[in-house]
Amino acid sequence: MDEQRLKESFARIAPYGDEVPLFFYSHLFLSHPEVRDLFPVSMAGQRDKLLNALVRIVSDVSNHDALVPFLRGLGRDHRKFGTLADHYPAVGASLLATLAHFNGPAWTEDLAHDWTEAYTVLAQVMTEAAAEDETRNPPFWGATVVGHERRTMDVAVLRLAPDAPLRYVPGQSVAVECDARPRLWRFYSMANAPRHDGTIDFHVRVIDGGSVSSALARGVSVGSRLRLGAPVGTLRLDMSSTRRVLLAAGSTGLAPLKAILEQAAGLAEPPQTHLVFGARSAAELYDLADLEKMAAQWPWLTVTPAVSGEPEYRGETGTVADVTGRVVPLADHDAYVCGSSAMVAATVNRLRSLGMPQNHIYVEDFGWSES
Amino acid sequence: MTHANSEMLTPERVRSAAFSPARLGRRGLDEGQVHAFCEWISDELGRLLSENASLQGEVMRLRDRLLDGKGKSGVQPEDAHVQAVYVLSKAQQTADRYVADAQEYSRELAQDAHLRRDEILREAKVRASMILEEAHTTASRAASEVRDTRESMPSSERQKLQAEIAYLRTFSDVCRTHLRAYMESLSRSIEEWERVELNGAPVALPEPVVHTPQRA
Repeated sequence: MDEQRLKESFARIAPYGDEVPLFFYSHLFLSHPEVRDLFPVSMAGQRDKLLNALVRIVSDVSNHDALVPFLRGLGRDHRKFGTLADHYPAVGASLLATLAHFNGPAWTEDLAHDWTEAYTVLAQVMTEAAAEDETRNPPFWGATVVGHERRTMDVAVLRLAPDAPLRYVPGQSVAVECDARPRLWRFYSMANAPRHDGTIDFHVRVIDGGSVSSALARGVSVGSRLRLGAPVGTLRLDMSSTRRVLLAAGSTGLAPLKAILEQAAGLAEPPQTHLVFGARSAAELYDLADLEKMAAQWPWLTVTPAVSGEPEYRGETGTVADVTGRVVPLADHDAYVCGSSAMVAATVNRLRSLGMPQNHIYVEDFGWSES
Repeated sequence: MTHANSEMLTPERVRSAAFSPARLGRRGLDEGQVHAFCEWISDELGRLLSENASLQGEVMRLRDRLLDGKGKSGVQPEDAHVQAVYVLSKAQQTADRYVADAQEYSRELAQDAHLRRDEILREAKVRASMILEEAHTTASRAASEVRDTRESMPSSERQKLQAEIAYLRTFSDVCRTHLRAYMESLSRSIEEWERVELNGAPVALPEPVVHTPQRA
């Protein structure tokens, strides 16, 4: 397989952008109409995902150490969509037809051979990972909603009882699908350390126009059924560190940090921990009562609420970045930051500018981990 | 022989053409028939030639179009599948657009509702704090007025108030006295009633009477 030639042929089709995955999916659905049902009505987001995955695979084609874990994760992750080993040849045929189509006269027998070989390896890695996973985990976890609490106009706290034990590390998240929005999966973090009864909490904030978040916050009630994918994410408590802990949470970004906090509470010697929990208004500090109860109970924990949109608020006012910089002595701390992307960027920047080393700052990412 | 111009010129028709012998006194075939036949052949041939030319033009046009298409996007003329892919892609894009529009619409609605809600809450908060402030002001004004009144009330006013208090006190005393008297007479009546009941004679119950004292 000539990797350079393969990359060049992919570079040739790159200028066609969205047309490439559009052609691919139409070709796939025409050749195999039965797989159409595995996808949502709108394919716009799906095309972006495919293109991004292809770009990543092609750019890492020579870097097996990076590529293999990515493909294995992709293979396992696709189980929840109902992807079967039988689907891989169909996808391969449509991928080759798409590449041939957009390469035009530049498409040669050699290229067809390169791509076939590359795709065969890719499909093998993915299906093997899926098959291995099959011996340990279901394709997805069915779960029943056992608690549903509207904390504010926009935030609901859901408690779920999964049908089978869902093993995860505090800080991780799972993709969630509900009946009202079939084939649309959105990530939510477990907001608690694993419990004996196996229940998990999600903090759901309604996003304007967000179809899944509004369904979960308003459409779902006790007794509703949801489907959960396998836990993902690499944000987790660094157990090897002896430094103190700063948890900086913006709104429902609290969820994974609360799970980490509960995990710390279970340690023989919990680290000194300062949690800054921020929202626009005091009313939106949807979990403050619970956090203050924890702080009252655990002497190693300090909780500081931060309110950014109410100058008359009696506590700390300002963004999480402002308040963190103001009230937490940052020396000798590890920081765990979670919230909106703007909040995370602002907070990390502030911490960096206040002299915190980059490798002491942990943020969420949805990478697949081998656990 | 006869022929109509609508008849098709076929090799068979030409080969089997039959002409009557010439009129008496002339040799050979009927000249008129031969002339007419030749005319028909020439008409028909002209029609076929022009039809052929236009068909050739059509062929050239189609061939050019195919070559053009091939040069532009690499579509193979025989690949009807590619056309189907395009059709499905168009349909998918239309569906995507509808979903995106609906989502955008719901996002705008929700955002408007949020803004409106925040506005209402803000207004309510402002009003609530205004009402509270007003109540505070009123209360402290009342308190200071009471203080002022106590300190600077003219003696005539004070006498009037004291007289009022004395009157009310008297009135309450009178009421209490009357009430007590009534209760006593009532219990007396009951005793009497019981006694009379035993003897078989009727009694009148007392009327409660309150005499209002005259104001000072």
